[in-house]
Amino acid sequence: MSELFLELFSEEIPSGLQKNAREGILKLFTESFYKLNINFKSNKSYSTPKRLVFFFEGIPEKIEKKGITIKGPKVEAPTVALEGFLKSNNLDRTKVFEQSTEKGRFFFGKISPKTILVKQELSKIIPEILNKYSWKKSMRWADHNLVWGRPLKSILALFDNQVIQFSFYHLQSNNLTFSDEIMEENQKEIKNFKSYMKLLNSKKIILDQNHRKQLIVKQINKVCRTRKLKSELNEKLLNEVVDLVEKPNILVGKFDKSFLNIPKEILITSMQQHQKYFPLFNQEDNLANAFIIVTNLEDKKNFIKIGNERVISARLSDAKFFWEKNKAQSLVKQVSNLKSINFFSKLGTLFHKVQRIRKLGTMIADQLNLNIEKIEISASICKVDLLSDLVGEYPELQGVLGSYFAKAQGFDEDVSLAIKEHYLPLGLDSRIPRKPISVAVSIIDKIDTLVGFFGIEEKPTSSKDPFALRRSAFGLLRIIIENNLSIQLKDLINYSNALYLEQGFKFSNQATLIELTNFLRDRVKNYLKEKKIRHDIIEAAVASHTSGDFASLYKKCLILNKYLSKDLGKNILMIYKRASNILDQEKKKVGFKIKGEPNSILFNKEEEKILFSKIHEIRKYFSSTMKNENYEKTLEILSSTKKTTDDFFDNVIVNDDNENIKKNRLELLEMFCRTYDNLIDFSKVEGA
Amino acid sequence: MKKKISKKTKSKKINASIQSFQSTILNLQKYWGNYGCIILQPYDMEVGAGTFHPATTLRSLGTKPWRTAYVQPSRRPSDGRYGDNPNRLQHYYQFQVLIKPSPKDIKKLYLKSLLTIGINYKDHDIRLVEDDWESPTLGATGLGWEVWCDGMEITQFTYFQQMAGIECKPVSVELTYGLERICMFTQKKNNVFDLLWNDTGVKYKDIFYQAEKEFSAYNFDYANTEFLFKIFEIAEAECKSLLDKKLSLPAYDQCLKASHVFNLLDSRGVIGVAQRAGYISRIRDLAKGSGSVWLETQT
Repeated sequence: MSELFLELFSEEIPSGLQKNAREGILKLFTESFYKLNINFKSNKSYSTPKRLVFFFEGIPEKIEKKGITIKGPKVEAPTVALEGFLKSNNLDRTKVFEQSTEKGRFFFGKISPKTILVKQELSKIIPEILNKYSWKKSMRWADHNLVWGRPLKSILALFDNQVIQFSFYHLQSNNLTFSDEIMEENQKEIKNFKSYMKLLNSKKIILDQNHRKQLIVKQINKVCRTRKLKSELNEKLLNEVVDLVEKPNILVGKFDKSFLNIPKEILITSMQQHQKYFPLFNQEDNLANAFIIVTNLEDKKNFIKIGNERVISARLSDAKFFWEKNKAQSLVKQVSNLKSINFFSKLGTLFHKVQRIRKLGTMIADQLNLNIEKIEISASICKVDLLSDLVGEYPELQGVLGSYFAKAQGFDEDVSLAIKEHYLPLGLDSRIPRKPISVAVSIIDKIDTLVGFFGIEEKPTSSKDPFALRRSAFGLLRIIIENNLSIQLKDLINYSNALYLEQGFKFSNQATLIELTNFLRDRVKNYLKEKKIRHDIIEAAVASHTSGDFASLYKKCLILNKYLSKDLGKNILMIYKRASNILDQEKKKVGFKIKGEPNSILFNKEEEKILFSKIHEIRKYFSSTMKNENYEKTLEILSSTKKTTDDFFDNVIVNDDNENIKKNRLELLEMFCRTYDNLIDFSKVEGA
Repeated sequence: MKKKISKKTKSKKINASIQSFQSTILNLQKYWGNYGCIILQPYDMEVGAGTFHPATTLRSLGTKPWRTAYVQPSRRPSDGRYGDNPNRLQHYYQFQVLIKPSPKDIKKLYLKSLLTIGINYKDHDIRLVEDDWESPTLGATGLGWEVWCDGMEITQFTYFQQMAGIECKPVSVELTYGLERICMFTQKKNNVFDLLWNDTGVKYKDIFYQAEKEFSAYNFDYANTEFLFKIFEIAEAECKSLLDKKLSLPAYDQCLKASHVFNLLDSRGVIGVAQRAGYISRIRDLAKGSGSVWLETQT
């Protein structure tokens, strides 16, 4: 059995691209091998910033292809058909014979058994595979035509100690790798993967990203143990750091304790995002003035540690300077400066936006019975931190820093929290605001954004959503549903629309309200789907949903999902089905419209009268429980008509000879179904 | 911390001794001059970065090989801090290297250049961290890295992909050394104004402190905006008329003027958010025009 070893040596490939290339190119290899019937025992891919390595073990040296006979064109077909057949199968005319079949006389060709040398095959497919791989981001360099993640310098390709000869653009495969780590002046001959690994080991280079990761984690843990500190080991940062080094070495740096007085998010962002350090925490989970640096070099002279400490302390002094300055700048006095920041070109500045959401705030305060002053002040100042030097330096800390400024300026806790939390949720599954003021500001900010972009017809399309409106809408729904809020969304949307017009913005879209409501309905369907609600229940519930009260819609779906497959639910469906089946049949035949308005004078059977009064009972129930409907109770009531309807269908013939009576009975059944549809549109439920 | 001075070789002695700001410039010039770069002088107009020098923007276009290196005073009006901030200046120096086509061993060449200014890659953690570059005003993009030395960004390392809206073929590589940063690193200073300019004790502060104070006041408070808006219009019109006459270099000068005036207006805070993108695209049009006329007029 043979081994294939390929090393692609390049200038430093960014972390994000490395992982994709590692996995993507390996996949192309595997697929190609599968197609060619080349088996293998194991396939691995590794990377360091400069090396992309693919290693296959247990590959056959050659593949025997059995001889076969293949059918060609009909004998009487034009000669071009035969020529094509010969060419595409690489056949000699002498290997072709004629033979009769049930369908006529055909040409047949004999393909002789063949031995395919895998090494030879590889010299063909490797350049094809490399050409096929498409990078997420790629570049050209010098005067070459090759497009690659970063400049590719050399290709080492070995099959059982021998070079697989091929050329790839300006490069020719060889058995050489760069052995000195940084200068890349000397190339060394490599015999096979084993000797390659030996060479790397002697240079302390760890090829396997997983080993590097384990080593880094182990060393960080060791530091933490001996110093009685903790590290969060942020997974994203860890993976990035693993791909930034070939021979990881861990150092512990420190900064002056006085920096611990500035907001910890600033310190953490500086360390993680800007410097790729791992911040350390003490046993009480407070940030410590120490951090871990993963370097690519041993720090023999202590230069590296001191250098890094100087960098972080310069960054932090800068941040401290701005922190002292910005926290003293009154948030309220700066509101009008928001005029200098665009919200969106046709939707005004952020000053316009906060004016609008402040007014929307009064409406939502009313709806949710919250403190108006707190909402108004939060809405007014929630964007002011965007003007600060600190958010300029740390844009990812928008809101977080505003919250600190508010606290420093003595604002109420609820207000400062709302500044921070009104941006939530940041991701699809991430945390939503829970505190009432935060919830309110978050909702109105999102409504303002949605209404504005729908108003100027910047709606998301199936493939593009540049303003992340889907995320906003989904977040909005999550906040409402998961906080179980009963709010009048339509009123808020209408008012928001009016506020834009009041400010003089012209909306080209006249159907903003309808389109946005439909958009929200679609998002709520997605949400329900994620919550594993049955598809037909979602359709049925959303179809009958008119109020915009998404929290109760969700509750309804949960209950229905639970009971519809049980006896209680089956019962209701059976009752409904009996009525709707008759209606469906008759509706096709009759020439009149059925409105669900029976006339009680035309009732001539007791069962009709009983059913009619039962329907009234249920209607009365529905109108009395508009809010805080107990859906379990509703289901019980709907199921309790079983006796009445059974009696009706057993004793009343809907298809009466008298057209008027028949029509009236159909009206009664329609009324019955429509009443049930108050809960959900049962006609959309499977089995109904 | 004790300084170790090696007695072995002359070059190592240089490495270990503190390099003044001016000797850093001189050593880089000498190194890249020896490599074969044409050592140019700074462009004689206000520019935001070494990249704006026509020796980079225009010469990176077309197929003719080109190697140059030069120091370029760069102005970013809104980065001024009245001389109060230890890290920020509205006027600072970049050392710029541009080589077309990019040589295969550019990384090695770069690391060796660090040796000449007192940074030994054997002692320091040199890292190439992804940093792709884009200049909307120049219509330019590039891929590359920022070079970290013990966690500090000291150089931008970029392979141009596009310049003045034109695809670069062959591709140039650009190295931009942040001279103040590098010297703060090699001289171990926490404040840019404490940097030693030469070996006789003249400091950065002695030369530039007053300028930082005065230009910050000009940039933020006193620049006559009405006048500047007019200059912008004039420069734009002049650039276009020169482009009609196929005079790419004078036209590009007007593009640079417009760009600097825009930066000043921006730091005066009089460019509304809505107008910003418009101004940038107007400058980009001038840059694109200059680039294509320059290419047309190459023989």
